[in-house]
Amino acid sequence: MNISLGFSENKDHIQATNEAVGQAMVGLGKTRGDLAIIFTTIEFAHPLVLKIANNLLGGIPILGCSSLGIITNKGIFKHGFAILLISLSKQIFLNLALVKEVNKKTPITAGRELGEKLLYGCKDVRRNLSLIFSDGLISDGTSLINGLQENLGRSFPLIGASASDNHAYAKTFQYFNKDVLTDSCCGLLFGGKMNFGFGIKHGWKALGKIRYVTKADGNIIKEINGEPAVKLYEDYFAKDALELAKELRRISIFYPIGIYLQGEKEYLLRNIISIKDDGSLVTQGDIPQDSPIRLMIGTKDSCLAAAVTSCEEAKKNLGAQKTKFVMIFDSASRFTLLGRQCSRELDIIKAVFGENTPLIGIYTYGEQAPLKSISYLGRAYFHNQSINVLALGGQ
Amino acid sequence: MLSFIFISFCLIVAGLGIFLLSKVQRLKEKDKQISALKTSLEEMDEQAKLIMRTDMELNKTQEELDKKISGLDILQKLSRDISTTLEEKQIFKKISNEYLEELGFEKSLAFLWNDLKREFHPCLNLGYGDVESEKIKITVNADKDYYLDLIHSGKTASSVFVPNNFLTKDKIYQLFQVRSFIICPILAQEGDQGFIFVGTQNIETCITEGEQELITILANQIGQTLDNARLFEKTWRSQQELEIKVEERTSQLTQALEEVGKISKRKSDFISSVSHELRTPLTSIKGYAAILLAGKLGSVPDEIRSRLEKINRHSDELVHMVNDLLDISRIESGKVNMNMESLELKYISDKVADLLSEQMKTKNITFSSNIPDDCQKILADRSQIERVFINLVGNALKFTPEKGKISINAHRSGRVIQVDITDTGFGIPEDAQEKIFEEFFRVENTINQEVKGTGLGLTLVKHIIEAHQGRIWVKSKISEGSTFSFTLNAA
Repeated sequence: MNISLGFSENKDHIQATNEAVGQAMVGLGKTRGDLAIIFTTIEFAHPLVLKIANNLLGGIPILGCSSLGIITNKGIFKHGFAILLISLSKQIFLNLALVKEVNKKTPITAGRELGEKLLYGCKDVRRNLSLIFSDGLISDGTSLINGLQENLGRSFPLIGASASDNHAYAKTFQYFNKDVLTDSCCGLLFGGKMNFGFGIKHGWKALGKIRYVTKADGNIIKEINGEPAVKLYEDYFAKDALELAKELRRISIFYPIGIYLQGEKEYLLRNIISIKDDGSLVTQGDIPQDSPIRLMIGTKDSCLAAAVTSCEEAKKNLGAQKTKFVMIFDSASRFTLLGRQCSRELDIIKAVFGENTPLIGIYTYGEQAPLKSISYLGRAYFHNQSINVLALGGQ
Repeated sequence: MLSFIFISFCLIVAGLGIFLLSKVQRLKEKDKQISALKTSLEEMDEQAKLIMRTDMELNKTQEELDKKISGLDILQKLSRDISTTLEEKQIFKKISNEYLEELGFEKSLAFLWNDLKREFHPCLNLGYGDVESEKIKITVNADKDYYLDLIHSGKTASSVFVPNNFLTKDKIYQLFQVRSFIICPILAQEGDQGFIFVGTQNIETCITEGEQELITILANQIGQTLDNARLFEKTWRSQQELEIKVEERTSQLTQALEEVGKISKRKSDFISSVSHELRTPLTSIKGYAAILLAGKLGSVPDEIRSRLEKINRHSDELVHMVNDLLDISRIESGKVNMNMESLELKYISDKVADLLSEQMKTKNITFSSNIPDDCQKILADRSQIERVFINLVGNALKFTPEKGKISINAHRSGRVIQVDITDTGFGIPEDAQEKIFEEFFRVENTINQEVKGTGLGLTLVKHIIEAHQGRIWVKSKISEGSTFSFTLNAA
């Protein structure tokens, strides 16, 4: 497997596409690319950009999404077009699939459909890893994964990212071949001999006593300990629901809800998207009824420590294999929390994998990855506030 | 046996009782511990609440501080860039996307009021397409009174606070397609005023007072720079106009000077040719008069002799005048070569005094000369400079009444020596002092009617001094006397 990276922050979309794709193609030399993963900031999410990239790349499969920032070896960029061009070895197979109108079809149905499409043509091959990019504004990210897992298998390694925009939470974009889409989910399935390692951590710590979700419906927590769910935040922050609503994004980033999972050191985090009139809390992923939950608190230091652990786990999982490249799906909430110290997180990643290891990443509104729990070994979850590190190895 | 059973039963009952009692005791203790743990847990939860609230406040403060530091840093860079700009159009070009994003916004527009057209015109557009900005411009102009009121009030509108009589927040959100905004007046002292808008779609942004202050500072900076640019443009334009005027005037003066030069040359040529033409018949008149006076053509009666003597004297005067005119004409046209050499000023002064000593004695005039050592050597043409001294001292002698005083003084200033010839004569009226060096000019007074002169002496003197790169002037007071001063280069 050979890989090559291209990046441009040229303000002219067409020139930026030409520059970045050109760099990646030159980097790969005479070898033909088999797959291109494209990440751009929101202003590059234009059909013309994808058409040009598709033409330049000679029609090879393209997968990707929009983000509020691009992470590369050279730094974190608020504007730019990045491409990872991969030339696969003969032992590796891949299959791409797309599902549109996720919300209309319901996330679980869309998940099932994507799973079916991904498996098509790969049934006789040893399936290895699935990579998915979904719309970051899909309200029930967990159902999408559940639907996917119904076809791929619950313990099948699934790594994914929910696309983001420039914190406007208005529209996120997914890239599939030459199309720019919204309300969709695209993915690929790797089959054959492939080595990878991943790590996912958030760094938020539990505070206060355990409470129980006494009434819930998918991603809506209706009651906690028999009281309207919002009372948890009202009690902790001494603010009424109206005041909380004004600062919801900040509160959600700094103090999300953590679901306790038996035998796990870390909690599964859930961001609060909105507060309903009846005091219910709408979260980005589901929270099963009777789940023990706690309020979480995050600091810059704990966030950065989690980044170290995540990278180290990914590297460890790769074993003796040399890291070919690293892909980062970093939560947009962490970007806000870390503020001016964002570059420190990048420094940590580079320190673990080596300064010159090719690196590409985005900031996401949700991350999908297995939570390496003893009880739920291998099962993929929908995460918030996490840094998801995927390292691909090779000789 | 029964008693044994009874005793055993009693013992068992007692044992059970004791066990039960101890169990109850232990349960009570456990309850106490559970209750204590519950209390501790509740207390810890309360502490957790305090921690959360404190942490949130700290985070907010930290965020505000970060924003302020970052904002001040950007503002300083931006101010430096803007303040060095002296072109109005360039000021807004200095505000780039990079600066704006560092301040936490991705959209910005600035409008200036055009008083002639009675409308706002955009001068900055960041983050909007051409169609969007045109649409905003039209809506802003439709609501121009609100914006003009805001500018006149000098108040800032934002997502946090909108002044009375301004548009609602929702209207602004809708128009500018943002979730948070700041609109701040650009208050220039002179010329058109306007406002700057900054906004973001970022749902997580909460506009703070600190951010409002930063944008207000930026708007003030823009206002001041606009003032500077306008003042500079005004000054530059005035300077340009002045330069054009000076150029035109210089050209006119050059033309006039050329014209004067031509006229002067024609005059010199005319005087030169007329003088030459006059000298020949004059020489003949003077010659024949001399022959007649000498009696070579027979004795001349006394009456005729006296008339012949007059002819001879007047002919001499005419010759003198013609010679002066010729000299002036030659000097003016540069035909006279000055033989510059190092001369003793004292020697010249003494020589002139000696030459005129008889006349001084006759009029009982006291002559004095004070020439310091550092003024001894001058660089001049001997014959010409002697003419200057003879003319000036001769004039002083003519116009100084009996028992008067004439003095020659000199002093040095760098490479220049100034000579002052002072008399205690009748003086020259103030209005005549400027004209005195003009050709044929004579002061209208009774003395001049008695004292003869051609009106060419001082003109000649002026020309000679100017040919020596010096200058000449006079200071005089009626009845007190006059001082003629001139400068010469030191040798």
